[in-house]
Amino acid sequence: MKSTRRSAWLDIAAIVVVLGALVFAMLSPKVESQGDSARMLFVHVPTIWLAYLAFAVTFAASITYLATRSLRWDLIAGSSAEIGVVFTTIAIIGGMIWGKATWNVYWTWDARLTLTAIMLFVYIGYLALRRSIPEPEARARRSSVLGILGLVQLIPVHFSVTWWRTLHQTNTFRPRDIQMDGPILAALLVSVAAFTVVYARLLRYRYELAQLHLAQYEAAAATEGPVAGDAVSAPTIGTSGA
Amino acid sequence: MWVTIPFGAIALLLVPLAVGINQDVLQQIGTGMLFVVVMLFGVLTSIRRTNIETPEQRDAIALLGIDPVAEFTGRVMASAALLLVFEIVIGVVAVALYGLDISGWEWMLVVMPLAAIGLAELGTLSASIAGSAQAGPALVPLLVTPLAVPLLLGATQTVKTIGGGGVNLSWLVLMVIVVLVLAIVGVLTARPLQETR
Repeated sequence: MKSTRRSAWLDIAAIVVVLGALVFAMLSPKVESQGDSARMLFVHVPTIWLAYLAFAVTFAASITYLATRSLRWDLIAGSSAEIGVVFTTIAIIGGMIWGKATWNVYWTWDARLTLTAIMLFVYIGYLALRRSIPEPEARARRSSVLGILGLVQLIPVHFSVTWWRTLHQTNTFRPRDIQMDGPILAALLVSVAAFTVVYARLLRYRYELAQLHLAQYEAAAATEGPVAGDAVSAPTIGTSGA
Repeated sequence: MWVTIPFGAIALLLVPLAVGINQDVLQQIGTGMLFVVVMLFGVLTSIRRTNIETPEQRDAIALLGIDPVAEFTGRVMASAALLLVFEIVIGVVAVALYGLDISGWEWMLVVMPLAAIGLAELGTLSASIAGSAQAGPALVPLLVTPLAVPLLLGATQTVKTIGGGGVNLSWLVLMVIVVLVLAIVGVLTARPLQETR
């Protein structure tokens, strides 16, 4: 009861933070060169940041699972990857809409865009793998390896704007070289914080759902599993034509 | 192998029919197409064991007490050898069909084995991960293809810089790093993956 009430308060807090971020985004000054389309920044940057965070959590939870063999870490890894896929998709679609307004094309063969799309497919493969293995232990061991391998793809995505000359701007957050007006930066930071809180709540709920699925699977396995000797049938006596 | 090589050669033959038979264009895209074909069709070679190995054979290997790391290494070496043969044959076909410039060919002695080892590691790992899953054979290409992108980039960019007169070693370094990371992950996860068979 106590934890349900605390969870409800956290949900309300998350909604308040998101509404606050929305107000900040709406009140932030217009960017002369881009007009209102620049407000996409307050969705695009936080969603891609959360995609990184979600996949990094998947990586860390996968390693922890292999070290501890505790299924809760596998559930966290799977839940986080699912949220990461959703946020990556939103980031790509948001980026395409912004790209149309800024570059006049939805898609350009830019290193950051292309590698982000490829990263999305790595984790779609991860989720497909999880769905194809019903047995929890086997699913955890196999998907944890892919959860670790997935991070290999994250590194070129992040550094692509530095390694290649791309149309995409360089990383937005560069602590030593912030080229952003104060009010816009404040709105962006509030937006990042709001999306992070939303991620934390989503992860919590998805994890709880995964725990319920696990309990359901274990209950079904306990009642419907094969019993030793099932394959042996009793001989029939006295029914032959003799 | 006798199916994969003709399959790859046909793919190289189909490209000019789709994009046009302009020799300049074909020379420009030829190297990239070669490595795309190697990547996509090479996966078939590297996961061949999934198709030919029965669960009883896998159990027998496990019961023999063979070290999972040695098993992983052996599978990678076998797949890499086959992939290298595939790369060489398909490379000759690409040179013949697209008229590729073969100056600086000696660098291919480094690029091709690195690509073969990297793909073999990825294929072996992915086959172990998805091998006995319900959708195993369909899943492996989905798992391998996006993860093979750094290898594809490293191979094509290295070959491209050969044409410019010098070799940009940073692309080769990228390939070496990927091969090493995959080897480390493969060695560290060989035992837990063997336990799930």
